[in-house]
Amino acid sequence: MSCQSYSTTHPTYPTNNVDAIAGVGVKIVAFLCNWCSYAGADKAGANQLPVPAELTTIRVMCSGRVEPTMILECFQKGADGVLVLACHPGDCHYKEGNLRAYCRAALLERLVPQLGVDPRRFRFDYVSAAEADRFSQITNEFVDQVRALAVIPFNN
Amino acid sequence: MSSRARTAVILCTCSGIIAERIDWEIVQRLLAVHPTKPVFRVDQLACGADNLEQMEVWLKEEKPERVVVAACSPRDHEATFRRLLIGAGINPYFLQMVNVREQVAWVTTDPVQATAKSARLLSAALDRVQRQEPLVARKVPLRTEVVIIGAGPAGMQAALTLARAGRKVTLIEKEPFIGGLPVRYEELFPNLECGPCLLEPVMGELLHGHESEYVDLLTLAEVTSVKGTFGNWTLTVKQRPRFINPDLCIGCMACAAVCPEHRPHAWNAAGELAAVDAPFAGALPNFPHIDPAVCLKLKGEECNACVVECPVEGSLAFDDTIREVTIEVGAIIVATGALEKQDVPAAFAGLADVHTGYSFERLLAMNGPTSGEILKADGSPPQSVAIVHCAGSLDTNEVPYCSGTCCRAALKYAHIATAKVEGVELTRLVREQVVPGLDADSQLHHDHSAVSRYSGLGALSVDGVGAERRIVCQDNGQAIAAEMIVLMRPVVPGEGTSKIAEVLELDTNAGGFLAQLHSLSASCASNMKGIYLAGTSRGPGDIREAFSSGTAAAGLALSDLVDGRDLVVDPQVAVVDAMRCSGCGTCLQVCPYKAISWNARDRIADVADILCRGCGTCVAACPSGAITGQGFSRAMLRAEIGGVLS
Repeated sequence: MSCQSYSTTHPTYPTNNVDAIAGVGVKIVAFLCNWCSYAGADKAGANQLPVPAELTTIRVMCSGRVEPTMILECFQKGADGVLVLACHPGDCHYKEGNLRAYCRAALLERLVPQLGVDPRRFRFDYVSAAEADRFSQITNEFVDQVRALAVIPFNN
Repeated sequence: MSSRARTAVILCTCSGIIAERIDWEIVQRLLAVHPTKPVFRVDQLACGADNLEQMEVWLKEEKPERVVVAACSPRDHEATFRRLLIGAGINPYFLQMVNVREQVAWVTTDPVQATAKSARLLSAALDRVQRQEPLVARKVPLRTEVVIIGAGPAGMQAALTLARAGRKVTLIEKEPFIGGLPVRYEELFPNLECGPCLLEPVMGELLHGHESEYVDLLTLAEVTSVKGTFGNWTLTVKQRPRFINPDLCIGCMACAAVCPEHRPHAWNAAGELAAVDAPFAGALPNFPHIDPAVCLKLKGEECNACVVECPVEGSLAFDDTIREVTIEVGAIIVATGALEKQDVPAAFAGLADVHTGYSFERLLAMNGPTSGEILKADGSPPQSVAIVHCAGSLDTNEVPYCSGTCCRAALKYAHIATAKVEGVELTRLVREQVVPGLDADSQLHHDHSAVSRYSGLGALSVDGVGAERRIVCQDNGQAIAAEMIVLMRPVVPGEGTSKIAEVLELDTNAGGFLAQLHSLSASCASNMKGIYLAGTSRGPGDIREAFSSGTAAAGLALSDLVDGRDLVVDPQVAVVDAMRCSGCGTCLQVCPYKAISWNARDRIADVADILCRGCGTCVAACPSGAITGQGFSRAMLRAEIGGVLS
């Protein structure tokens, strides 16, 4: 098989207008841990379950790697919602990184309203490597919820 | 570092699957304005061998400093593309993958949105990859020696398997004698094979056979601390004194015959044992053991009885002391076993002639307290025996699980008791009956005992004494003759199993047994690389499983530790910047692997790369921002955040 230009196998697209597709609605960042939630997201893909197009994922090895300031930075840079998905308690590949993430999430849930961000824009939850359905459900639920909220004042 | 490194982008169509949803032409046009001015290439199947060859040629021509691959999940092919970079002469950690198959093409039905999302993710990857650093995997030599903790059937089998392969093995046993539990059982289910006859050749081979030169046996020994990681463990072992010189003692046990002091006979769960003695005929190694808490001489009193009687001068070593041994190995096999819960439920507590499975087992043994006769405490045989199955198993008040082996043991007891005591009235009280295995059905078919169902220990009470004693069952009002009672108590983790879980920091399951890496597909591996599990440390099991899991654990150690093959340390670990570390010690507390130690000289934290697993928890916790998570640094993740939100 040789390298060939993609255009020869090109399906019909509703638009080829670059500008028309560059814009998106809400912007959602999801931090996924490599071993559970990222694998769950992959499985959602393998099962062709719906995942919102607005969701962009950032892979980390462990949810314990996610710094609270990174989540604040997401909001600062224009994110409308931030998800952190970890292994279920007791299932962390790194024993207890997810519990550190849980503690940090509890802190953030109290911190973000003080910065003018609706706490419903941040969610910490658990998705195992097998829970493709749960990944699809949580991400759709969360994005629907964020879509329903007014824009963040400082992002407007 | 240049923020505009020349970057090559490989766009995979995954044989058209990705291209059904993502228009790579539009993506290229969208990214053409990216400050890195990337060069693109579209491949039909980037992971294919032919394509990899062509891509390597292309990369060598283009000479990029960074590479982004948009294809499947990095969990699938990150290693493949890292090898591609190595082949092209580029540091493999200058790769960033974008998962456009599982996480875009397969989940985003609208091609416009899928294409836009891919462009966003690729833009973020281009930003991230600029921040990536070249990393080099360090190689560390592996030790091939193995330590095995527990010298029951599983541990002995593991030791012999390894010794046959020429591996140095240290076998550690906390008791003065080896063989574990089944060596004390006269007959084993399901086919009534003689336990000692089965195990003594194994023990003999271990102690004196061709491979024994590879095996270092430490009895009366317990692991007190462990440091290190897969391939390089250092164990500290405390060995209590036996007070016998093994080079001189001939094992005649003349000392035991004259010893004036006695201790409770724990191995028989009945009777007494001299202060210097072996617990039963055939116990190995064939030396007595002196209990320092009982021996008069060791307590500082006047006694020389054994020394006078001993035919080999110097065999009794009263100056023997506790020893601390350091052992360096590449792998650890835990075979610390299980035991039957020995406490007796309230309804039976304090009554005469109430046995647990273990004490009844000793009653059946030729080398047991009654020389194999089933006798009551008064020395006469019972007219009736009642065996209570599930006496604590499948019971939320004790253990919720089925202990798995007791039904087969109970059927064995019924069979032997019927044969040994003529006319005995034998009843088995059962809740469930679990008799698995190809050859255990004959146990059920040959069983002639009366069977009575009961709902739980709470439904049973004991009435009367001696030959008139009955177990009264509330469920059906039956009164079951029970001059002797055998309670099949639940199988629980051995004392050694609980202790070693603490020392090795191994996870345990709800029953307190050692957690397996996977209960079905990796049942002889622990959660920790380089620590393997055998026998009933993993949960209740029979001797057959002990032997097979001992072989399996040895096999894992053999395949993981190959002579001459180094351990490659993943460079994606945490690194402390000595200049920024304030020495607060926060990271020491959050590290799940004890990979971070306190450097008292410089008053900073040190990370041992060989122990670090790269989770990054310490990176996120460091209040000074002094720790870098290599491969997932703050700069990389921030660039990625900026990219996806741009």
